[in-house]
Amino acid sequence: MIAALSFYAFAAILIASAVMVVTSRNPVHSVLFLILAFFNAAGLFLIAGAEFLAMILVIVYVGAVAVLFLFVVMMLDIDFAQLREGFQRYAPIGAVIGAILLIELFMVLATWRFAPEAATLRLNPMPSGVTNAEALGRILYTDNVFLFQACGLVLLVAMIGAIVLTLRERPGTRRQSIAEQVARAGTVSVRSVPLGAGLKEIGIARPPSPEEEEPKQVEHHHGHGGHH
Amino acid sequence: MNWILALPELVLALSGLAILGIGVLPKRNTHFACAMAAVGAFLLAAALAIGAPEGSAFGGQIVSDAFTRFAKVLILIGAAAGVVLSLDYNAREGLDRFEYPVLLVFATLGMLVMVSANDLMSLYIGLELLSLSLYVVAAFNRDDERSAEAGLKYFVLGALASGLLLYGSSLTYGFTGTTNFDRIADALSDPSKASSGLVVGMVFVIVGLAFKVSAVPFHMWTPDVYEGAPTPVTAFFAAAPKVAAIGLFARVLGGPFGDLAGQWQQVIVLISLLSMVLGAFAAIGQSNIKRLMAYSSIGHVGYALVGLAAASEAGMRGLLVYMAIYLLMNLGAFAVLVAMRRQGRAVERVEDLAGLARTDLSMAVWMAIFMFSMAGIPPLAGFFGKMFVFKAAIDAGLWTLAIVGVLSSVVSAFYYLRIVKVMFFDEPAGALDPRPASVSFVMAASGVFTTLFFLYPAPLVAAAQAAVAALLG
Amino acid sequence: MFVGAVFFPLLGASIAGFFGRWIGDRAAQLATVICMVLAAACGLTAFWQVALGHSSQTIEILTFVDVGGLEVSWALRYDTLSAVMVGMVTLISTLIHIYSVGYMSHDPSRPRFFAYLSLFTFMMLMLVTADNLVQLFFGWEGVGLASYLLIGFWYEKESACAAAMKAFIVNRVGDLFFMLGLALTFWTFGSVEFSTIFGSIDQHMDATFAGFRAYEVIGVLLFLGACGKSAQLGLHTWLPDAMEGPTPVSALIHAATMVTAGVFLVARMSPVFEYAPTALAVVTVVGASTALFAATIGCVQNDIKRIIAYSTCSQLGYMFFAAGVGAYQGAIFHLFTHAFFKALLFLGAGSVIHAMSDEQDIRKMGGIWKKIPVTYAVMWIGSLALAGVPYFAGYYSKDFVLEAAFAAHSGVGTYAFWCGIAAAFLTAFYSWRLIILTFHGTPRADHHTMEHVHESPAVMLVPLLVLAAGAVLTGAVFAPDFIGHHWEEFWRGAIVNAPHNEIMHHVHEVPEWVPLLPTVVGLSGIALAYILYMLAPSIPGKLASTFGGVYRFLLNKWYFDELYDAIFVRPTRALARVLWQTGDATIIDGVPNGAAALAADVARGAVRLQTGRVASYAFTMIAGLAVFVTMLAFGAAR
Repeated sequence: MIAALSFYAFAAILIASAVMVVTSRNPVHSVLFLILAFFNAAGLFLIAGAEFLAMILVIVYVGAVAVLFLFVVMMLDIDFAQLREGFQRYAPIGAVIGAILLIELFMVLATWRFAPEAATLRLNPMPSGVTNAEALGRILYTDNVFLFQACGLVLLVAMIGAIVLTLRERPGTRRQSIAEQVARAGTVSVRSVPLGAGLKEIGIARPPSPEEEEPKQVEHHHGHGGHH
Repeated sequence: MNWILALPELVLALSGLAILGIGVLPKRNTHFACAMAAVGAFLLAAALAIGAPEGSAFGGQIVSDAFTRFAKVLILIGAAAGVVLSLDYNAREGLDRFEYPVLLVFATLGMLVMVSANDLMSLYIGLELLSLSLYVVAAFNRDDERSAEAGLKYFVLGALASGLLLYGSSLTYGFTGTTNFDRIADALSDPSKASSGLVVGMVFVIVGLAFKVSAVPFHMWTPDVYEGAPTPVTAFFAAAPKVAAIGLFARVLGGPFGDLAGQWQQVIVLISLLSMVLGAFAAIGQSNIKRLMAYSSIGHVGYALVGLAAASEAGMRGLLVYMAIYLLMNLGAFAVLVAMRRQGRAVERVEDLAGLARTDLSMAVWMAIFMFSMAGIPPLAGFFGKMFVFKAAIDAGLWTLAIVGVLSSVVSAFYYLRIVKVMFFDEPAGALDPRPASVSFVMAASGVFTTLFFLYPAPLVAAAQAAVAALLG
Repeated sequence: MFVGAVFFPLLGASIAGFFGRWIGDRAAQLATVICMVLAAACGLTAFWQVALGHSSQTIEILTFVDVGGLEVSWALRYDTLSAVMVGMVTLISTLIHIYSVGYMSHDPSRPRFFAYLSLFTFMMLMLVTADNLVQLFFGWEGVGLASYLLIGFWYEKESACAAAMKAFIVNRVGDLFFMLGLALTFWTFGSVEFSTIFGSIDQHMDATFAGFRAYEVIGVLLFLGACGKSAQLGLHTWLPDAMEGPTPVSALIHAATMVTAGVFLVARMSPVFEYAPTALAVVTVVGASTALFAATIGCVQNDIKRIIAYSTCSQLGYMFFAAGVGAYQGAIFHLFTHAFFKALLFLGAGSVIHAMSDEQDIRKMGGIWKKIPVTYAVMWIGSLALAGVPYFAGYYSKDFVLEAAFAAHSGVGTYAFWCGIAAAFLTAFYSWRLIILTFHGTPRADHHTMEHVHESPAVMLVPLLVLAAGAVLTGAVFAPDFIGHHWEEFWRGAIVNAPHNEIMHHVHEVPEWVPLLPTVVGLSGIALAYILYMLAPSIPGKLASTFGGVYRFLLNKWYFDELYDAIFVRPTRALARVLWQTGDATIIDGVPNGAAALAADVARGAVRLQTGRVASYAFTMIAGLAVFVTMLAFGAAR
């Protein structure tokens, strides 16, 4: 009884907030409604007994994706009213075609029925004696390992794409070069500094400037040459 | 778990990662090395694909049979040629970054996954891997507004198409309870189960695929993207992905939806008709040769789909032969386009070819061969492609399609011949820059194939026949 | 030897075409001419062996296509019909090659010219030696391609390019019908091999297609295809324009090769045509109409080459109606003799043009016969043969054709007969109009040109003399074999006359006046021309002004070009423009200029335009989707 009630509550709020995502005028509000929708979906998952999915949904979608959306929306300051202007021109025909498609999809829905196996599948959400996460893991990493790896490549390509299209190496920027730092020897020393002593007492230690270092190196090499 | 079947894919994936590593670590420009490594990976994968055993793997998510072999080899050839064509161009245009070959490797991997898919999920992921890579390479010349615009447009519309495809897949899943091709076919073998929901789902899937092959009315992105993207990218777009998407078409409609042939035939006939007619007429007024080739490729897809519309063994075979010929002659034509540079700048107007016969006779002759072949003039390869599909259509009783096809190929001969006329009979517009050996190689290889195909068409036709036999079971 | 006749020209074309630049003009010319001479030697031997020595054969080269029940092997078929064509084509083409050495001596790109010329010959030989319809089609298309290259040889001339395009496009229209005919043949017989088709004629007698007998449909389609190549009424418009090419090209296209392809096709497919009476009636009517129609136009043209071009058109009409009444032998015989005297006339005209410093208008010639006596003489011989004056080659073939039309004793046959008689009169008339205006009277060219009038070099005259000998002799020598009492041994089934077709016998039983009539009208045509242009040169001008309408009608070639322009060319162009504007300019609103607009208007314009357009693209996609879903949702099984 309680489960049924909460299901309808979650579902109703989910649909209502989804509608608000599309209709609200302020993009920030849209994103906030999206977050609400995610929470409700997580609730639905919980009711269905998929607690792992519910948590993932909250962590990934609310914690990361939606917040990223918020950032983007706030940073870009998109004028949605202006975007809609172009949309208005097509609205009448668009509405007609949309309506036709919608009616057809409803007709399709009318013919829908459960597959014979669906009922059995629903009663056994996962093999008994296995936790939620482990069941997911089996599906992801064993049954669908091929697709899982392929998805990984899709994400890799997305990352490469983002870098290719946006990363610019500007001249004059100073970037950290870890290899150089690690390989540096002799120019940085660790000193134990007496307690209570200020800069006045111990002085400022500076790395030797390259101009000073150059001749030294040359001399050093000469020395070697002499020995051989 | 018979992972050997996925060996070509695995090899490509690993080499993609390795090339990425090679490219990132050294300080100097590694574009050339990476491109060469990519070509090597393609050739290796092609060798593996030819020798791949038959069967299905990963719980029936992918298959390997004569059809995948045929399609994979074509795709890999197209991809390798695409990389070779880009070598010099990218270096001159300042696009010689190692990410380019890496992205092409992943795009090709996506295509391989697509054609070997035996499940709606692997189909979708392969398609998405391909699309995502293509969106990026379309915009690869990011400092050029046209290129950036092309990438963005392609991305937005491609996302829409992907959405439609996914929606269709989910409808199919909802009505059959499975995403596996074999089991969908089983579910459909009982005609009473073929509900309208499945049909609608299939239409959505067809639309998603039709976008990829740029068939009318889902072609609108093609001219803009072809024109905007850097020329080697356009060459790549027009070759391998077309083959992969058409192959997928054949796989999906011939396999799982084979029993709905009566329904999808109507859609394919319409798409094919519209593509042929639009491809023939809209290209006439074009002055930008890349745009012209875009319309030409729309027309060619229309002709190829004639074979699919026949929904017969001969038709499918015609479709595959057509795509093989299309791939090879198109690569040649685009090699010419890539070689069109004057005083260090890429030029892409039809008039820029004026008098080519007097400044660079051999290139003009090759181009003329490609144009004649595309116009379907015997004995060049293009004629045979058309002959096979039209014959299949006539055998299947699709007279309208065959007649419209012949008429539109007559109309399209007009703009192909216009290019020949411009090259041979117009006043020279000044010499083009000397072309690099890599481009000449692609041009000549493709030209020789196009010219001499008629002497020995048997191997290709036999391979296509075996592929069709595997496809239709 | 048989293979040599066909492939030597290809060899020559390859040498001149690919290596012409390295080996130089002279070597390229020499190579093609030598190859052609060898080919002619082979061709004539083949003619001797096959046609006169009675030994038909088929030579396999290789299997061409072997898939899906369509097996086509590449073979050369040598029967009498092929041998006649091969012998004639190689001989005349060789003479034209030799002639071109002189005629084209001032042209900068000779290797190209000779390569095209040889290629053209090769394609024609492929066509006539074809063993199956696909191979024939290959030669057919190849001839079209080569003619496109040759007519557009002087690509600097705008009109030459236009003429080449026109020839190519009009030919494509014909080819379309040919392809349909080919498809239907395959559909009916399940094969495109001639031997299979001819062997199974009886079995498919009752096959129907779309309610008509399949043979009739095949016949009509193939004939329409032939119309394109052979410039019959309706599709003839390209032929006169094709005169833009160099004169040897005109001679080759109009005398020996391209235009005869259609007649050859009808003769080759005679087994099918024999059982397609309606198709034959169509052939007869179109042929007869063309004969008369082209002759009327020929009477008022002023360009020396165009007059001869229209006479070709008219003579082709004769060949077709001969085939139409069932006398294919007569058609081929006329084709054979015509090849000689028409090549002679064209090359003679070329010699005149050469002499007159590239003047082609006969109104600006005159009074030059003493300066170029050899040319003058051969033009006389050619015209005498063309007009069918007794004992010249044309006399035998033309008389036979007309007698056959009469002997058919059918409505269309009689129509053809009277059209032919009228055309014969007009032919004689315009031939002598040409001769008189060109060679006699007072010189109308300017002083400078007249001073330079000179006889052509020997390399041009020798082919003329050989052809002149042909124009005099071929009729008398070969008439007994081709159409006389030995015809059955000569053809040996290469051309099939059905049992019910006894025209070859009836021809010899026509009334006395029938063979006499063509000669009489021919001579009276000559007389009329003599009176009008020699004795009273003022009359033609008065006639033209009195009957201004008729004159302009004829001068403008019955307004066919204008008609086609209005019916086909303009709507196509308009349609293309509409599609271009709506599909491109309006919807896409300018990515062609989009780049420029973007550069000028980067920030604001770019984003706006893009979103607008992408939306419309997406919208189109969704609309297409809706259409398809609707289409299926209401047709699908529920």
